[in-house]
Amino acid sequence: MNRVRAPVLKLGETLIASVQEALMDADLVGLRDELVADVKRYRATGVVIDVTVLDVLDSFAARTIRNIAQMTRLIGARTVIVGIQPDVAFAMVQLGLTLEGTETALDLEDGLALLDIQLGRERRV
Amino acid sequence: MTYEKTLLPETLISSDEIGQRKAFLEFADEDVARLESVNEVAIRYADAVIEDFYRHLLSFEETRAFFSDPDVLVHVQRMQKAYFTRLTQGNYDAEYVANRVRIGVVHERIGLPVKSYFGMYCFYLRSVMQRLQEEYKDRPERAFSVFASLMKLTFFDMGLATDTYIEARERTIQSQQEAIRELSTPVLLLRPGLLLLPIIGLIDTLRARQLTEQLLRAVRANRAKVVVIDVTGVPSVDTKVANHLVQAVEAARLMGALSIVTGIAPDIAQTMVRLGIDLMRITTVGDLQSGIEEAERLLGYTVRRTGDGAPPLAGVQP
Repeated sequence: MNRVRAPVLKLGETLIASVQEALMDADLVGLRDELVADVKRYRATGVVIDVTVLDVLDSFAARTIRNIAQMTRLIGARTVIVGIQPDVAFAMVQLGLTLEGTETALDLEDGLALLDIQLGRERRV
Repeated sequence: MTYEKTLLPETLISSDEIGQRKAFLEFADEDVARLESVNEVAIRYADAVIEDFYRHLLSFEETRAFFSDPDVLVHVQRMQKAYFTRLTQGNYDAEYVANRVRIGVVHERIGLPVKSYFGMYCFYLRSVMQRLQEEYKDRPERAFSVFASLMKLTFFDMGLATDTYIEARERTIQSQQEAIRELSTPVLLLRPGLLLLPIIGLIDTLRARQLTEQLLRAVRANRAKVVVIDVTGVPSVDTKVANHLVQAVEAARLMGALSIVTGIAPDIAQTMVRLGIDLMRITTVGDLQSGIEEAERLLGYTVRRTGDGAPPLAGVQP
């Protein structure tokens, strides 16, 4: 059921959660559970959450994303959040939601490159 | 500044405002009636008064400069005569006020000084007073009361014109402030992936917001990885300014760009510590040069002097 709103794609050792539309709190929890399970199942070393389409990230979303990053780290995968838009970033800092301790990158491409560098993998491109 | 922007100030021509102004001048219906009663006299004396008026204007260098074009002179004389007779035609309504305000806008635009404007009114009143004295030789109290009514009306007009002047100047100041604000927050691309944001001048909430928005847009447009924010030109930093700075840095980080703050002056550093401002989460380095070097290191650039470039300056060892 979460797959519709944020399908998780597997690309080598990386999982890409591509958010397609605004997420309800339940969707976020579903995404969290799915990602944690998938990291374990596929022995993934990197996770990218693409939030390009979101025009708002509230405190619950920010907390859930931080939780995902911490949880996946415990089971061996780095998480990068990509695609936060300028307006969203500005609104978030004003609310004090800074996703501290979470990696961020401009977009999917940069996010994947960041994981490659951090994990010492061969560059794909 | 574009002339299309010089719209009539709405605040001056609202009916409430007009009523208040008239009330303060005690400009009442009997004044209107008194002025209307001398309309015939005014028309009779109009040409003579206008002639005197322009003789006076043209005898001064400063005011003469405005009428160097003979066509302009003929035009304004006609306008002035129309205004002179209009003063005694009653019906001093919103349209009358709009007209006065429009004249004020024109005078402000051509740069007629307020002192000349007031001086012209003074001459006008004196000239009319003399005519009224002649006309009502045997009834001086009549001349006096008509003059009092006329004075109220001309002071009403002068008030409107002066406020128009002030309003126009204030608008100019405002648009210049906006221009300064726009100018002072450029975001420069220094190398692929490296942005430079030199901040010059005071940071207030509005400017901090614009600055952050501009920075974030530039981060996205240039795919920047590192941003060097130089605050050498910021004269003072208080808790609020520091907070704005932290927000800009954190917002940029959310978009995947790391910020380096450079150029915090020693006395500002002292103030910040004394105020308990914590910038520990932000990378800071001393000056712009080290900031750029640090950014280049992060991005994997190495800058090296080749030696076969421009010859070294005289007296400077390479």
